[in-house]
Amino acid sequence: MAADADAPPPRGARFRGAGGPAARGAMEERDGRAGGFRKETVDRLLRLHFRDGRTRVNGDAQLLMAEMLNVFVREAAARAARQAQAEDLEKVDLEQVEKVLPQLLLDF
Amino acid sequence: MEAAGGEERVLLTQRLKAAVHYTVGCLCQDVAENKEVQFSKQTIAAIAEITFRQCENFAKDLEMFARHAKRSTVTTEDVKLLARRSNSLLKYITQKSDELISSNMEQKEKKKKKSSAAKGGRTSGEQVIVTESEDSNMA
Repeated sequence: MAADADAPPPRGARFRGAGGPAARGAMEERDGRAGGFRKETVDRLLRLHFRDGRTRVNGDAQLLMAEMLNVFVREAAARAARQAQAEDLEKVDLEQVEKVLPQLLLDF
Repeated sequence: MEAAGGEERVLLTQRLKAAVHYTVGCLCQDVAENKEVQFSKQTIAAIAEITFRQCENFAKDLEMFARHAKRSTVTTEDVKLLARRSNSLLKYITQKSDELISSNMEQKEKKKKKSSAAKGGRTSGEQVIVTESEDSNMA
């Protein structure tokens, strides 16, 4: 993803490599802190836009969507930061976000 | 959540936007530390707005994927479809999904062991050896 060729993990995303119970614990533990989206928030966000009132999201899908959104935000931030660094700026501003936005949306 | 009354919906939207804004702020702070840059407030607000809008696209797609599969519940398969546009994203999401699945299986195993132990000790010929390879850290 991002500017570099074929680096598999999306930049800015953190990998808790461990599988098993640690993974679910890690994913849930990251809620709300520097970690990211809480699954309840994600659920409400999605249901706000469902056309059918009966559509639901299962627990694992909520967790996975929370990860997805975390990656989305981190990617946006990291790409904008990289753009600022390329322009020799210390502060990331709207201009940098605007420049990275098109490719970001195409990638998601 | 059935079709909320107009005003309720506006309130809900505001609350959700605030929640998104807060979380985006936290995540950006993390990235800022890692990359040693600063994000202006407008930047954080912009990313929050973009994320909120992207959720609408995600939600509609997810609903359609589920409906296409004749389901009314969105599953991890639908989420994986959502991640199809970028190879590295798909790989990452698939990996997370696999971790969830193995975490689920381990939980089921633990429940089975607990319930068979609760049903009065050992069954004939069977010894229940409980080996914990990882501490359960599910606080």
